Amino acid sequence: MITMKTGKLRTSWCITLIVLPFITGLLALGIGRIWISPGEVFSAIAGVFTGSADIPVLTKMTLWNLRLPRIILAAIAGAGLSAAGCAFQSLFANPLATPDTLGVASGASFGAALGLLLGFGMIGVQATALVMGGIAVCLTWLGGTGKNKGLGTIVLSGIMMGSLFNALVSVVKFVADEESQLPAITYWLMGGLDHTSYEALALGAPPIIIGIIVLFLLRWRMNLLPLSEDEARSSGVNISVMRGITVVCATMITASCVSMCGQVGWVGLLIPHMCRMKFGSNHLSLYPASISFGAVFMIIADTVARSASAQEIPISILTAIVGAPFFIILMRRTGGLAR
Amino acid sequence: MNLTVKNGSFYYNKSTPIFSDINFSVDSGDILAILGPNGAGKTTMLRCITGMLKWRSGQSLLDDEPIHTMPMRKLWSKMAYVPQAKSVTSAYTVLETVLLGRSSHMNVFSAPKAEDIEKAQYALDLLGISHLSDKKCSAISGGELQMVLIARALASEPQVLILDEPESNLDFKNQLVVLNAMTKLSSCGMTCVFNTHYPAHALQRANKSLILSRGGEYVFGSTASVITEENIRKAFGVEAVIGEIETSGNILQNVIPLKIAHGETENADDRTKRSIATVTIIANSNNMADKINGLLHEYGSLMVGRMGMPYRECGLYLINITLDGTKEKILELSQKLNILPDVSVKTTFAKGDFDKVGRGDILE
Repeated sequence: MITMKTGKLRTSWCITLIVLPFITGLLALGIGRIWISPGEVFSAIAGVFTGSADIPVLTKMTLWNLRLPRIILAAIAGAGLSAAGCAFQSLFANPLATPDTLGVASGASFGAALGLLLGFGMIGVQATALVMGGIAVCLTWLGGTGKNKGLGTIVLSGIMMGSLFNALVSVVKFVADEESQLPAITYWLMGGLDHTSYEALALGAPPIIIGIIVLFLLRWRMNLLPLSEDEARSSGVNISVMRGITVVCATMITASCVSMCGQVGWVGLLIPHMCRMKFGSNHLSLYPASISFGAVFMIIADTVARSASAQEIPISILTAIVGAPFFIILMRRTGGLAR
Repeated sequence: MNLTVKNGSFYYNKSTPIFSDINFSVDSGDILAILGPNGAGKTTMLRCITGMLKWRSGQSLLDDEPIHTMPMRKLWSKMAYVPQAKSVTSAYTVLETVLLGRSSHMNVFSAPKAEDIEKAQYALDLLGISHLSDKKCSAISGGELQMVLIARALASEPQVLILDEPESNLDFKNQLVVLNAMTKLSSCGMTCVFNTHYPAHALQRANKSLILSRGGEYVFGSTASVITEENIRKAFGVEAVIGEIETSGNILQNVIPLKIAHGETENADDRTKRSIATVTIIANSNNMADKINGLLHEYGSLMVGRMGMPYRECGLYLINITLDGTKEKILELSQKLNILPDVSVKTTFAKGDFDKVGRGDILE
């Protein structure tokens, strides 16, 4: 268990949280339609360092060009979505907040759909998604902050912006070519990590990693976010700046995740709640745990998505089908939303 | 630490000021009670005093330094705010909550260090709630939560403590626990300012009081001069009596509301009215007898009769005086006698109207 005294993680948990995603990733490397045994995986990894040439080309191709980027993406996206969810739930002091609360994901989806409609390449689609996600949040922020700026107004504004961009996605689908573009858009919206490449990662991963790190450094300060306005102000911390940083980081993470793997629901809601049940609400332990378990969950989900059946299962379907019942069981067992 | 408000005014809508031209000052060891009817703007005033809301004009000063020019961190390491327990999100444990009070002493990227944890535990100890430290804030009682919030405020080692209705929504025992904590802190030199709905708490605990009326009028001064039946009627629209309840060790002042006042007509307690009263005084020491004589001399013009005798076997001095004068003067004298240590005082007013009667001595 954790030491309740300060909310800091015990060393054993620290190590577990760091090591767990890597072990999961290593195991996932071997799993797929082409089965590669752990032994082969290890000799292949060793081969990279020793330069030995007796690794079959097919194994190398599968491991380094197909599976590794996917697993890296899954880990980063899972960690990112979970971190963003955790941040938003604290920011809005609302257990139902998700990474999409401010309309980022809808904006990014519209961007991607537009990119596909205009026939951009994969990187182009990713870039438009990223930009539109950012625009959506800016609009939400502009609409929600005013004279009586409360966080409630921003959430409402986010919901409005979300539905506006969802409507725009429908417009794009409506005008899209039924033969080629419409299926591509629909499939993309369902989410998936199958069109990953190192180039896509190079564009999409840095915003996620930067966001995660900044929030990680501020993790103790995040404890102040759910406090009421007066309480937060009287802590002597500039709470508006803290909120601003949280929104920017969480938005950057979410837009980037959506731009790379579509709308993957549930991770941002499920993982932080699971971690709250286990680690309590102190972000000193909650935040690192959310990152780690988010990565692990996503790697597992994606591994199942690509290897369970001959046809790849869209990952958002999988996360919901696994996530919803699992969450309910957990909630009933622990007696409520870890309050 | 001195907290002064100079010419403070605030309004949401220019034509209807919440309050205007507020002036008061409190020092180390002072407890200031802010009273007023619902909607008079007590909480708004606290928010203005602390700078969470900006005065439209005027300013708050901490030891002569204007609050609105102070950096947040500096301000909130000198002053601490205790919100009402009901408005609190409570997902953290008690210790985690109290540690949040250390924010103004910590770097942006740092987590609480051993020193911070020590300070937090000290605050819990001081209030006698260290046994709660690992409990969740959602699993403790309202009174305990209020104490936790005071502990959180204390963790920042403030010199001024601002409390928003700290004893509202609490039962008798917890009210006492919270009020005792406040009294204890002020005796250690803390400047306390609190909002309250209970004039009795002001009488029993605060040495200074401020009554705020709807419409922005206010009275500020020593509690005895502010919490009067007249001021309560004006501000709250309630006829009330201020009485004393004697216990074996203490005489407690209490305010009992009688009925809702209608208009300005009834004036049961006209303090300028001529009154006749006898005051019975028992002093336990020679020393006090001298002080009493000094006071009686000072109010000599009221005196129409006087009887005094020592009861040497028991070391007591028994004094009985009859006074004729305005009620205000008589009460003033009896309050001054009352606060002397080791002196028991009881004042009895004669019934009837004496305005038209001539004045003469009862005893030659």
